[in-house]
Amino acid sequence: MSEPILVGRGLTKAFGPVEVLHAVDVDVRPGEVHALLGENGAGKSTLMKLLSGYHDPTAGEVLFDGAPVRFPDSNAAEAAGIVLIHQELNLVPDLTVEENVVLGREPHRLGLVDRRAARARAREMLDTLRTEVPVTKRVRDLSVSQMQMVEIAKAVSREVRVLCMDEPTDVLTGTETEVLFDLMRRLVADGVAVLYVSHKLDEIKAIADRVTILRDGALVGTFAAADLTTADMARRMVGRDVADMYPPKRPVPADAPVALELDDVSVPGHVEGATLHVRRGEVLGLAGLIGAGRTELFEGVLGLRPMHGRVRKDGRPVRWRHAEDAKFDRVAYLTEDRKGKGLLHEKSLRENVTLQALERFARPFVHDRQERAALEAAIEEFDVRVARHDVAAGTLSGGNQQKLVLAKLMLTEPDVVVLDEPTRGIDVGTKRQIYFYVAELLARNVAVVLISSELPELLGLAHRVVVLKDGTVTGTLEGAALTEETIMAYATGLRRDPPPTPAEVPRVRA
Amino acid sequence: MSAPEAVAPPAPAWRGALRRVPWQQLTPLLALVLLVVVGSLLHPSFLTATNLFNVLTRSAFIGIIAVGATFVIIGGGIDLSVGSMAAFLSGAMILLMNALQGGALSPVGVVLMGVGMVLGSGLVAGAANGLAITRGRIEPFIVTLGTLGIFRSLVTYLADGGTISLDFGLRGVYRPVFYGNLLGIPIPVWAFAVVAVLGAILLHRTRFGRYVRAIGSNQEVARYAAIRVARIRTLTYVIQGLCVAIAVVLYVPRLGSASASTGILWELEAIAAVIIGGTALKGGSGHIWGTVVGAIMLSLIGNVLNLTSVISEYLNGTVQGLIIIGAVFLQRGRQGR
Amino acid sequence: MNRSFRILAAVATLAFGVALAQTTTIGVSIPAATHGWTGGVNWWAAQAKTRLEAAYPNLEFVINTAGSPAEQADDLEDLIAINQIDALVILPFESDPLTEPVASAKDRGVFITVVDRGLSRAGIEDVYVAGNNTVMGQVSAEYIIERLGGQGKIVVLRGIPTAIDNERFDAFMALVEPTDIEVLDSQYANWNRDDGFEVMQDFLTRFPEIDAVWAQDDDIALGVIEALRQAGRENELFVVGGAGMKEIIKGVMDGDTLIPVDVLYPPAMIATAMEVTALKFVSDVPILGRYILDSTLITPENAADYYFPDSPF
Repeated sequence: MSEPILVGRGLTKAFGPVEVLHAVDVDVRPGEVHALLGENGAGKSTLMKLLSGYHDPTAGEVLFDGAPVRFPDSNAAEAAGIVLIHQELNLVPDLTVEENVVLGREPHRLGLVDRRAARARAREMLDTLRTEVPVTKRVRDLSVSQMQMVEIAKAVSREVRVLCMDEPTDVLTGTETEVLFDLMRRLVADGVAVLYVSHKLDEIKAIADRVTILRDGALVGTFAAADLTTADMARRMVGRDVADMYPPKRPVPADAPVALELDDVSVPGHVEGATLHVRRGEVLGLAGLIGAGRTELFEGVLGLRPMHGRVRKDGRPVRWRHAEDAKFDRVAYLTEDRKGKGLLHEKSLRENVTLQALERFARPFVHDRQERAALEAAIEEFDVRVARHDVAAGTLSGGNQQKLVLAKLMLTEPDVVVLDEPTRGIDVGTKRQIYFYVAELLARNVAVVLISSELPELLGLAHRVVVLKDGTVTGTLEGAALTEETIMAYATGLRRDPPPTPAEVPRVRA
Repeated sequence: MSAPEAVAPPAPAWRGALRRVPWQQLTPLLALVLLVVVGSLLHPSFLTATNLFNVLTRSAFIGIIAVGATFVIIGGGIDLSVGSMAAFLSGAMILLMNALQGGALSPVGVVLMGVGMVLGSGLVAGAANGLAITRGRIEPFIVTLGTLGIFRSLVTYLADGGTISLDFGLRGVYRPVFYGNLLGIPIPVWAFAVVAVLGAILLHRTRFGRYVRAIGSNQEVARYAAIRVARIRTLTYVIQGLCVAIAVVLYVPRLGSASASTGILWELEAIAAVIIGGTALKGGSGHIWGTVVGAIMLSLIGNVLNLTSVISEYLNGTVQGLIIIGAVFLQRGRQGR
Repeated sequence: MNRSFRILAAVATLAFGVALAQTTTIGVSIPAATHGWTGGVNWWAAQAKTRLEAAYPNLEFVINTAGSPAEQADDLEDLIAINQIDALVILPFESDPLTEPVASAKDRGVFITVVDRGLSRAGIEDVYVAGNNTVMGQVSAEYIIERLGGQGKIVVLRGIPTAIDNERFDAFMALVEPTDIEVLDSQYANWNRDDGFEVMQDFLTRFPEIDAVWAQDDDIALGVIEALRQAGRENELFVVGGAGMKEIIKGVMDGDTLIPVDVLYPPAMIATAMEVTALKFVSDVPILGRYILDSTLITPENAADYYFPDSPF
C-alpha cells in the first residue's frame, strides 16, 4: 500500500478548558476513501478540521507528505491541495453559481474578470459532477442539494490532493448521492485521498476503504471497511451493542379517533389539494423527494405560510392564521431547519427551552426558578448532555440541540406533533433515543406526523406513509405495501393512486 | 462542535464569583465613573448637587427616548424619526394648548388636555411606524427615515418656518413639570427613573421583553416558536412613540417653544446612548440600565467640556467622538478573540 | 416627489411664459426654514413675491428653498434650464460651493443679486445686499462696554462654526480685548435654544460671577434666559442677543431689563434684495453695487420701527 499523504500524530484539541480530542493517531493514504465515524460530539469534525489546517492542534502534529506542517490558515492548506467542504455551506448567497465556483480565482482579461472564461470553467466543473445546476442562477435561489454540488465543484476546481467532506450527503437525494459517490471513486482512482465524515453507516459501508472510529474524543481504532458490518460499526461507535434501532410498533387501536385531518389543502407554489389524516396513537409518515412540498404543506397548515383548504382538529374545523393559534389548539411543529429556525444560538438553554410555552412561566413576570426547574426536567427527560447549564444553545452538538428543540416543543404539551426530519445530522445513539421518544408519545395518545427522507426511519416508525410528488399526494401506503421500493415508486412518479373520494376519508365520530 | 463533556476543576468560590461579574457589561459604568472623576478634578463646582442635577435633567429627554429605542433596537429595528417626532409633538401640543387657553378649561385643565393629546399622539405615531414596518414589510430604516422627514416638515409647517411659543398664561402652571422638585430631586429626573425602571421590568422580567429579545436574536426562530412577531415588533415602536411623548411632556415647559430645529439629531443621540450602554445594534440583547448610563454619559461629556477651557471649543466634537468610541471599544475589545 | 412636482410646475410655468412672452422671471434661491432666522427669510421672501407681483404684472418670482449647498446648486440649474430666469436673487447656503454655479448663471446672462453671504470670488454679482456681521459684533461690543463701564466679567455663546460667526466674534473681541472686561469663556450654542439653555447652565455652574452675556442671536438668548431663571440669577446680569426676533423686540419695547437691547440683523434683507432686483427690470434707475444694511442697535426708543408682529420671526 502507498505511503500516507496525511498523518495525524497524537492530535489533541482543547477549546478553553474543555478538551474535545485526546491524542488521536490517524493516517490517510492517497487513493482511498477514509471515513471518520463517531457519535455527535465524538470529535470527528474537530479531527477533520485539524487535518485540513482549519484549526491548530493543542498538542500533536500533522504530517503532510511525510513532513510536519502547520498551515497559517485554511487558504494555505487549500493551496497545498487540502480542501475542506464544510458542514455549513460556504457559498456567497448573492453571487451566481459561476461567480462562486471561481471566487478568489477569477480568470482575468485586460484587468477585468473574463466572464465567458469563468462561465466555461464553472460549467465544466459542474459537468464533471453531472448535475444540472444553472450557472447563472444566484446561489440563494438554489436548493440545498444543488448548493452542496456547487460547493463540491468549487473544491474540485482547485488542484485537490486531499478532499475532506463533512456529512456531504445529509442534504442530497439518492440520485445526487450516487453522483457524488461516482465522483469520489473517480477522484480516488486519480490518487486523491478522500476524508469523509458521515453518520450513514450503509453509505460508509458502500464507499469507504477504511474507517476510523472515534468515541468521546478518543480513538477506538482504524479498520478496513470490508471487515466490519454496519452493526459492528455502530457497536464500536456507541461502545455498547445497539439493540434494535426502533421500538416495537404497536398497532393503532381500531377506534382511535382522528386527531388532525387535512382536506384538499393547497399551499400556493408548493402543494396542490392534499388530503390526509392522522389518528391518535399513530405515526403518519410523509415521504417524498426534496422539493416535493412536505415541509411547506405542514408549515401552511400550522399558520407559518399562506394556505387554503379545510383543516379539522379533533373533528372541529380550524383555521390557524398564526403559529400561536395552532399552539393553543395543541399542535406543534419541529422544523427541519434546526440551525436557522430551531434555536436562538447565542441565548441560554433556559431561554430556549421555555420560549414556546413562556406564558406558563410568566404571571406576569417570568419566574426564573420555575424556568430553571423546567430546564432541569427537560435535560433529564431528553438526556441532553451538557457540562454546565448556563451555556449558550449554539455550543451544544447537533444531537443535543435537537433534543433541546424537542423539549421546547413538548413544553407546550401538544397532542399532535409534526416532526420534520427529526434525525437529520444526528448520530446513531441520539437517533435511537428520538425513535423511542416517539413511541412514548404514542403511548400518551399523541398523534405524530413524521416527515423524513430516510426510508428506514419511515418504515421503522410509521403505521402509514403518505407520499408526495411535486406537491400532490400520489399514494398512501400501509401494511405489506409499505416497502422502500413502493415508497420510491410513488415518490418518483412511477406509480400514482387516484385521489381518495370523499367517502374514503374517515369521519370522526361525534 | 463537540459537547464540552470535561468539567473544569473547581475554583475557589470567591474566584468563581469574581469571574461571574460581567466585567465587559460594566464598562459603560466604569467609563461613567471615570468621567465623573475627570469632571471633579477639572472644576470644583462639578460635584455640586446643582450641576449634577442639571446633567441628569438634561439627560432625561434623550434618556427616556433611548429607553424606547432600546426596545426597538433589541427587537432588531431602528427608529430614526424620534427627534422629528419630538419636535412635531411639541409643536402640536403647544398649538393645542394655546387654542384651548381662554376657553372653558382652567389652565391646569388645558395642560392636562395637552399632555393627554401628546401621549395619545405618541402612541399613534409609534404605531404608524410599526405597522408600516411590519404590515407594509418595509425596512425600518426607510420607514423611519421617511417619517423623520414628514414630522420635521410638519412642525416647520405648523410653525410657519418660525417658532411656536406657549401662551404665557400657561407657562406658570406648566413650568414646574420641568423646573419643579420632589424631595429635592427635579421632576424630569424622577420621570427618567420611573420610565427606566418600568422599561427594565418590561424588558427583563416579562414575556413581552423575552419575545423582543428572541425576535432580535433570530426572527425566524421566534416565528417558528409561535410568537406573534409582527405584533411584538409593532409594539416596540409603540413603546418608542410613548417614550418620545413622555420626553415631550417634560421638554415643552423648559423653553415653552418648538421650532424646526427642536430635537435635531436626537435620534442619533438616543441610538448612541443605547449602543454605549452595551446593546447590540443588530439586536437580540441589551440592558435598560446600560442605556441609562449611556444617556447620562452623553450629557456628562458636554457638561465636562463646558466646564473647562483647556480644550478649544473647536475640538469639542473630537473629544466627544473619542470618548464614545473609546467606551464602546473597551466593551467590545474584551469580548472573545 | 417634491422635485418632480416642482419640475412639473416649472414646465407649466414655462408654457405660460412662452404664451405671455414678455414676462420677466426672477429666481429666488434661499435656505429652507430650519431655524428662526431662515424662517424669517422665507416669510419675507413670500411677502415680497406677493407684493411685487401685484405691483408689477410682468414680473414673476420663482422661490426655491434648499436644505443643503448641493441641493441649492441643483436648484440653480433647474432655475436656469427650466424656468429660464432673467435674474437670480440668491442667499447662498455657503460661499465656496455656490460660487461656481452662480458664476455659470452669470455667464448665461442672468442678472445676479447675492444676499448676506458673499461669494468667494469678486466681480460675479451685479448687486450685493447684506447685513453687516462685523458691524453687528462691534455694535454689541460697544453696548456691553459702555453699559459695564469698561470692566466686568462676561461669557460668550457662539453660533455654528461658520464665516458669519467668525466675523461677528472677531469684531466683538477686537473691541472688548483692550478694555478691562474679562471674557470668561466662549462655547458654541449653534443658534439653537436648547443648546443655549444647556451651555448657559454650565456657565452658571462654573462662574459664580457674570456681569453680562453676549448670546449674539435671539434664539440662543431665549435659552439663556430660561437657564438664568432656573438658577435664580436673572437679576445679576443682562443679555445681548441679535437678529431682531419679534418676541425680543417686543420685550425691548416693553422695557425688559434682562434683554435691554437687540442688535438688528434683519431677515427682511431678502425682501430688500428682491425689491432692488425688480427695479432693474421695471425702471431705468441704474441698479448696481453693494447695499449694506446697518446693524442698528434696537433700544426701547426705536423698537417700534422694527416690530413686525405678523412675521414668524
